[in-house]
Amino acid sequence: MSTVRSLAVEDSVAQVDHEVAVGEDLAFQRRWWRFEKVIWILFIVILLLDLGGTFGRGPLAHARLRTPDGELSVHYERIERKGTPSMMRITFGPHSVAGGTATVSISDSVVNGLGTQRVIPQPATTIIGRDALTYTFPVSGAAADIQLQLQPSAAGVYYFTVSEPDEKPLTGRIVVAP
Amino acid sequence: MSTIIDAILGYCFLLLTVRVLSRRPGGQLTLFEFVIVFLIGGVSIAATVGNDRSITNCATAILAVALMHRLVSWLKQVSPRFGAVVDGTPLLLIRNGEWQMNVMRGMHVDPEDVMAAARAKSIGSVFEIHYAVLERNGSISIIPKHPSPDS
Repeated sequence: MSTVRSLAVEDSVAQVDHEVAVGEDLAFQRRWWRFEKVIWILFIVILLLDLGGTFGRGPLAHARLRTPDGELSVHYERIERKGTPSMMRITFGPHSVAGGTATVSISDSVVNGLGTQRVIPQPATTIIGRDALTYTFPVSGAAADIQLQLQPSAAGVYYFTVSEPDEKPLTGRIVVAP
Repeated sequence: MSTIIDAILGYCFLLLTVRVLSRRPGGQLTLFEFVIVFLIGGVSIAATVGNDRSITNCATAILAVALMHRLVSWLKQVSPRFGAVVDGTPLLLIRNGEWQMNVMRGMHVDPEDVMAAARAKSIGSVFEIHYAVLERNGSISIIPKHPSPDS
């Protein structure tokens, strides 16, 4: 059978006016109020930054990469959020369309890290390379847009490349917030 | 794994937010404060569980929050200073029959809140209150100048 430990009662709670045991600590409370002010300012700053898109889905998050000749451009969100869908748009200029097709190589980090859910429109062909996927799209006009729906599953920093055949790749960075 | 981390981070962030909001949500919930509690709760659940609505994921999140709660309770017990950070300390709203205005303003407590607590003890006038204490759980304790009949 276990024994119950007992301890003599002590008045450990600080009294006010030697009358009421309250345990008030006004010095601590004043420090806490100062801390609260700092925290509220921080909260407001966070909200303002969020409105601007610092944490994604806002004007500051939009980014664009472009080849010097303007034939290939990539619109994307430089800051994304884990589990939240976003679109990456790749635009081909008139000279990028040859023989009624447009070809683009996209690093596999876009598929694996950034979680490509689907490619719009559906590519005619997909060639799996060493570190990239090469898509071919039938194009009827002079220029074309394709879109990749992204949905990253983990927070982190991801680098990606987008390139046309035999051209210098465009390199971008996307930060995925938790 | 990510659910556990999300739940722990969510717990810490929620603890901080509720702590700096004010002390009253735990004590005297008004309709206005109900809105805050339900909205914050709903948003936190969505962020913690995400798209994985499986029982495994929900159970993991609940266990992580329960463990954090136990850890914070233990830390409060071994460190009174930590307890003061998490729960605050009791504060006098009325001392010797005088309003402590800086505390009232700092804690966003109105005289009406004190009188509501006083009426619960059958005290009808502020002049009958000797001490009014804002407790750590957000309730207001009233010590009358003369013991009331039901005390």
